[in-house]
Amino acid sequence: MSSAPAEEIPAEEIDLSEANHIIDKYLTLPGNLMPVLQGIQDSYGFVPRPTIDLVAERLNVYPSQIYGVLTFYSQFHMKPRGRYIIRVCVGTACHVQGAERIVDTFFGRLGIGHAETSADLRYTFEKVACLGACGMAPLAMVNDDTFGKMTVQKVDEIVETYNQRPM
Amino acid sequence: MVNLTIDDKQVTVPRDATIYDAAKACGVKIPILCHDKKLHPFGGCRMCLVEVEQMKGRLIPSCTTPATEGMIVKTMTDEIVKARKLVLELLLLKHPIDCPVCDAAGDCDLQNLTYEYKVNSNRFTDEKFNHAIDYDNPLIERDMNRCIHCGKCARICDEIVAFGAYTFINRGIEAKMGTEFDGPLNCEFCGSCVSVCPVGALNSRPFKFKARWWALTKTKSVCSYCGTGCQLTLGSKDGKVLTTIYDENQGFHNGQLCTRGRFGYQFINSDKRLTSPLIRKNGKLQPASWEEALEMVTSRLRAGKSDPASVAALATARLTNEELFLFEKLFRGTVGTDNIDHSAGFAHEALTVGAKASFGVAASPSVIADVQKANLLLVVKTDAYETHPVIGFEINLGVKRKGIDLRIVSDKKGKLSRLPGAKTLVHTPGAETALFNALCRSVIDQGLAVEDAAGLAELKKALTDATPEKAAAVCGLSAAEITALAKDFASAEKALIILPIGLGYPGHGSALASAAANLAILTGKIGKEGCGLLIMGEKNNSQGAVDLGIYPKSTGLSAQAIIEACALGNVKTLFVAGENPVVSYPNRAKVEKALDQVEFMVVSDLFLTETAQLADVVLPACSFAEKSGTFTSLGRRVQMVRQAIKPLALAKSDFEILNAINSALGGGSFANQGAVFAEIAASVPAYQGLTQAGLGDEGAVLPVAIAAKLVPVAGEAQPTFAGKLALVTGSALYHNGTMSRFGEGPMYVCPDGYAELCVADAALLKIAEGDLVTVTSGAGSVSLAAKVGKRVPQGVVFAPYHFGEGSINTITDGSAVTWVTVGKK
Repeated sequence: MSSAPAEEIPAEEIDLSEANHIIDKYLTLPGNLMPVLQGIQDSYGFVPRPTIDLVAERLNVYPSQIYGVLTFYSQFHMKPRGRYIIRVCVGTACHVQGAERIVDTFFGRLGIGHAETSADLRYTFEKVACLGACGMAPLAMVNDDTFGKMTVQKVDEIVETYNQRPM
Repeated sequence: MVNLTIDDKQVTVPRDATIYDAAKACGVKIPILCHDKKLHPFGGCRMCLVEVEQMKGRLIPSCTTPATEGMIVKTMTDEIVKARKLVLELLLLKHPIDCPVCDAAGDCDLQNLTYEYKVNSNRFTDEKFNHAIDYDNPLIERDMNRCIHCGKCARICDEIVAFGAYTFINRGIEAKMGTEFDGPLNCEFCGSCVSVCPVGALNSRPFKFKARWWALTKTKSVCSYCGTGCQLTLGSKDGKVLTTIYDENQGFHNGQLCTRGRFGYQFINSDKRLTSPLIRKNGKLQPASWEEALEMVTSRLRAGKSDPASVAALATARLTNEELFLFEKLFRGTVGTDNIDHSAGFAHEALTVGAKASFGVAASPSVIADVQKANLLLVVKTDAYETHPVIGFEINLGVKRKGIDLRIVSDKKGKLSRLPGAKTLVHTPGAETALFNALCRSVIDQGLAVEDAAGLAELKKALTDATPEKAAAVCGLSAAEITALAKDFASAEKALIILPIGLGYPGHGSALASAAANLAILTGKIGKEGCGLLIMGEKNNSQGAVDLGIYPKSTGLSAQAIIEACALGNVKTLFVAGENPVVSYPNRAKVEKALDQVEFMVVSDLFLTETAQLADVVLPACSFAEKSGTFTSLGRRVQMVRQAIKPLALAKSDFEILNAINSALGGGSFANQGAVFAEIAASVPAYQGLTQAGLGDEGAVLPVAIAAKLVPVAGEAQPTFAGKLALVTGSALYHNGTMSRFGEGPMYVCPDGYAELCVADAALLKIAEGDLVTVTSGAGSVSLAAKVGKRVPQGVVFAPYHFGEGSINTITDGSAVTWVTVGKK
C-alpha cells in the first residue's frame, strides 16, 4: 500500500515481538496510539518502519495518521539514533554563558551536526532550547547524565569518557 | 429550536445548528474556506469570524459555535472585514498566486475571496513554499505550494471515504498536507479530495489545461456506471465532456462520487468510439451508411416477424428507460418475440424472480435513505463497497458517525470489514443461501419470529434440516456465530440487509434474494424505515430494465437459453443493444461459438466490443452524455439524464435507432424520447403519473406495494474438490461492467484483471505478487497477474470480471463457485 524508497527500510529484519507486546499492553486503552509509539521508541530507540505498519494494522489506525503524529512530536524518531544522545542547551541563560562555543566544540570533536547521528551509531547530537537547569548554565546532557558549568575542556573529557563506554 | 438574530434578521434553527448554519438558513452568506457541510466542523481557517453581541471582545468562528437563544450576530462589520483581510494576507503570503496557470481559477474560494475582500496588496513578505509537486499518479496532481491547510482532503478521506490517505505532517510553518511517509498518493483515487479542495492544490489531471472553468457548459445528469444513481454535473466544451464538476447540493450523496463517476467519463470522447455503422462484407466489417445498415436490419427483422421464435434480443441495463421501453415494444410488440433479456439472465434474477416471489414486486422494498437510518446493517459480501462505492460511503458514514452495528457475511474480507466495530463472518464460498436459511431457522428457534408472517408454516417445514449446527459445517462458521447474528438481527430495532447483484456474482440469484427476504420478513423488518432488504442492481438502469420487462415473460428464452439457441441454430437473428456477452456472460468459448454461428447478429454499442467484432451489422450508439432520458437507480429513484453534447461523429442514440426500426416495421414511431416517457407513465403502473418535467433535480421514488411472503428456498452445500481452490468472481473497485475499460481513469488505476490469493496459498504455490499465473477450470484456463494479500481466506481465489483480455468468463460457467487450480506460469 505504501511506497517508501527501499533505502529507508532497514536491511536487517526487525523483530516485531516487542512491538506486539507493547500493543497488547495498551490494546483496549482509548487513545492508545501515543503510549504505543512511545513504548516502541523506548524499546527500539526509534520507531522502525515495520512497527508503523504493525501498529496501523493492529490498532486500525491509518498509517498516514501515525506518520502525522510521528512528525508532529519532536520526541519521535523514525531513523536509528545513537547509543548516547548528547544534548546541549542553547536557551537564554546558556546562550549568554557561551553555549554556542560548547556546541561548536562538540561538532568538531564528534564530526556530526545538529540532529545528526554518527555513522557508528554511538552518538546523536542535538541543540535544545532549555533543559530547565539555568543555574548550571551552560549545560549539556548525555542520555540522563547532566554536566553543568560546561567548558571546552569538559567537552573533551565527556567525549573521552563516552568513547570508552560500551555500545 | 432556538431563535437568534443575524444581521437584523430573525431566524429559528434546530438546537444543533451552528451560527453558520443559522446564517445560511436566513440567506446571509458567511465566507468559508475550511468548512464543508458534509464534514465535522473544523474551525481552522478563521474566515467565518463574526461578532456576537453576547460574546463581545473577540471575534467568534461561526462554523464551530452553536447558535443559542437570543444571540445577536453581526456578520459584516469593519472589524470583521479587517480580520478576514488579515487571514487572506497570511494565506497569500506563502501561496504562489499562480492563478493564470491554475485549473482552479474561477472555481477557487481563495481567489474569489481575495477579489471580494479586495486584498490587492500584502503587508507581509516571506519566501514562498517550495514543495515538490506530486505528478506520480495520472489522476490527482498534488501541488502543496497552493495548499491553504484547510484539512478538507484529510477529513473527507477519513470521515466519508474511510481510506485515510492524507494527514497533516510536520508542525508549525513546516506543516503540510501529506501522505504516509510523505510518499506519492496511493489510494482509491475517488477524487473526493479534489472535489472539496477550495484551491488548486489538488487537481484532476485528466482535466489539466483542458478548459477554463467558466468556459465550461454545465449539465446536470446521472452517472452511467453502477446502479447507485449518483447525480453529477458534466462540464463540456466544443462537443467534448472534459470533466465532472463537484456540486455539493446534488443528490443524496451531496455531490460525492467514486473514481468511476469522477474520473471515468473519458469513455464518452474516447477515440475508440465507433464513428460510423459497419456492415460485414467479404467477412470483414466495413463502414457503411446508416440507410444501408438500417435497411439490412429492418429487412431481416421484417422477415423474422413471420417466425418470431427465431428472433432474439439482448439489451444492456445501461440504456435509458425510454430506450428500453422502445426495445421491448419493438421486439415483444412489433416483432412478436418473447426472447428478450439482459444481464446474462441471472444478474437480475434476484429482482425478477426472488423479490417478485417474496415481495410481490420485482424491486427492493427499501431505499438508499434507509442505509443511514438503520441500527444494524447486514451486508452480503464486502464487495458491496466495490460494486457501489457511494453506497459504501453511506455505510462508512453510518457506522462512523451514527454507530450503526455493521455485520458482514462474506467469502472474503474487504474494506468494509475494517470499519470501527464491524464484524465480518467469513464463510465458505457459495454458502450464502444456506447461511441465510440457518439464520431464519435460528430466529424461529429463538422465538424471535413474527407469528403472523405469510408462509411461516411452509418455511418452518422447509427449514427442518437447516439448523445452525448443520449449517455451520456447510458455511465454515460456528453454530454460535450464526445464532448470535440471528439474535442480533432480530432484536435490532431497525435492521437492513444489503445485497449487491450483477454479472460477477452468479450466486446472488433468486434463491439468495428470497432467503435474505425471509430473514427480513421473519423478523418484522419490512415496510419500516431503516429496515428491509436493499438489492443493489449492477448497472445504472438495472431497476429500469426490470420495471420495463426486459426479460422473458412467458415462453421466451432467457439470455443463456438465447446463447444456446444461437448455437443450435434455433435463433437466427440476434439483436444486441449494448451488451457484451463475449466478455461478461459465463463460458466465453461457448458464447463466442454461439455468436459465431448465429445467422445474423446486429450490435449497437459505443465501441467495437468483443461481441461487436462478431456481428454482421454494427451500429454506433450514443453515450449517456449525448442523449436525454431517465434512469431508475436502486432504491427505485427515477432521475433525469440530460444531453450535454451532440452525438459523436455519426452515432445515433438507441432511441433513434430503435424508433427508426420500429417505425419501418410498422410499429409506430415517437416524436422524441419525452413522448416515450409519457407512454411509460401511461402504461407502466409504477411510473403512473410521472412526467419528465416533474422529476426535477431530485427525481422521483417509485412507490411499491409490498405483499411480503416467506418463500422457502434450498440452500445446498457446495461440493468441494480437494486440492483445488474456490474461484469467486466479482467487481474491482474501479470498474463496473465492461464499459469502464474505456475510461482512462479506471484503466490507469486497474488496467488488467488479476487473481487474488491469500499469503498462505501463495507461499504454498510459490507465487509472489505480480507473478503471471495460470488459472485452470473445467471450462478452460486463463493467465492473470497474481495479487497476494490478506483479503481472501485460504482456499479461495478472487478475480474481477470486467476485462476482455484474459477474461475470467473463459473459465467460469455461471455457478457460484468455480473450482480451479492455480500455477505459476
